[in-house]
Amino acid sequence: MHSFSFRANALLTFSLTILALMCAMASLTDNFNSPSPTATVQILNVNRFQKKASGDDEVGVSLDISADLQSLFMWNTKQVFVFLAAEYSTPKNSLNQVSLWDGIIPAKEDAKFSIKTKNKYRFIDQGSNLRGRDFNLTLHWHVMPKTGKMFADKLVLPGFRLPESYR
Amino acid sequence: MGIRFWERKVKAVNEDLEGCSKKRRRQRPHVLTDAYILSPSTFTMDWQGQKVAEQLMQIMLVVFAIAAFITGYILGSFELMIYVYAGGVVLTILTTIPNWPFFNRHPLKWLDPSEAEKHPKPQVTSSVSKKKTPKK
Repeated sequence: MHSFSFRANALLTFSLTILALMCAMASLTDNFNSPSPTATVQILNVNRFQKKASGDDEVGVSLDISADLQSLFMWNTKQVFVFLAAEYSTPKNSLNQVSLWDGIIPAKEDAKFSIKTKNKYRFIDQGSNLRGRDFNLTLHWHVMPKTGKMFADKLVLPGFRLPESYR
Repeated sequence: MGIRFWERKVKAVNEDLEGCSKKRRRQRPHVLTDAYILSPSTFTMDWQGQKVAEQLMQIMLVVFAIAAFITGYILGSFELMIYVYAGGVVLTILTTIPNWPFFNRHPLKWLDPSEAEKHPKPQVTSSVSKKKTPKK
C-alpha cells in the first residue's frame, strides 16, 4: 500500500471480488424457496382446423389461461418467462411440443393473471396426425434471476382432445 | 497540519540552503530531499500508516458487504443490498485512499543535515579487474 494509485487499485479489485461473492451468495438463497404455483387452462373454441397445402395439420384455438405464479418471485428474481405448450405423441415423434402462447411477468404483482387469447404462435403438426388427438397443455416457466442460476419448471394439464374431423 | 506549517518548513529549509556554498550544497543531498518531501504536493503515509490503511480497507469492505447482504436479504430487496454496499465502498474510499494525517503518526526521522556532514558517505573502491573470491 505504497502510493495513491496502488491503494486505489487494491481497493477496486477487492471490492469487485467481494461484490462477486455477494452475488453468488444471493443466487444460493434461491434454493431455499419452495414455490407453489397454480394454473388452469380452458380451450374456449377450436377456431380453425385444416390441412394445409403442404400436408401438415394446422389448428387455431382460443384459450382461457389463468395462473397464480406469485410464489415464484424471490428477492433475486428479475422476471418470470412463462409459456404454454401443447404436448402430444404421434407415430412419427414420441414427443411433440408446440408453443402456443408466452409472456414475460416483470413483477410479483403481475404474476396472478387471467387472460383470454387466441394462440400467439401457430399450432402446426409435422404431418397430418391431429384429428382426434389427445394432448396435454403444459405451462412452463423460467425464473430469471438478477444474478446467478435460472430455474425452470412446469405444470402439466392433461385431458384435451382435438376434434375428429376438420372444420 | 495546515498550509502555514508547510510554508514555514519550506522557508526554513531554503534559508538553511541559502547560507551554504555551492560545494556544501552538493554534499548535503538530505536537505534537498527534505525540501521535496515537505512541499504540500507530497503528503505521504509512513510505513505504519500504510499497514493501517490496508487493514482498514479490507475490514471496512468486508463489514459493509456482510451488512449489505443481511439488509438486502431480510428486506427482500436486491437493489437495497447494492446501494448499501456502494455507500460502503464510497466511505472506504474516502477513509483509506487520501493521505490523512492520522496515517502519518510515526513519521520517518530523516537524518539532520548537520549530522550527515559528520558522517560522510564511504567511498566505494573500484579496481579494474576483480575476480570474485568464492564465499566459504
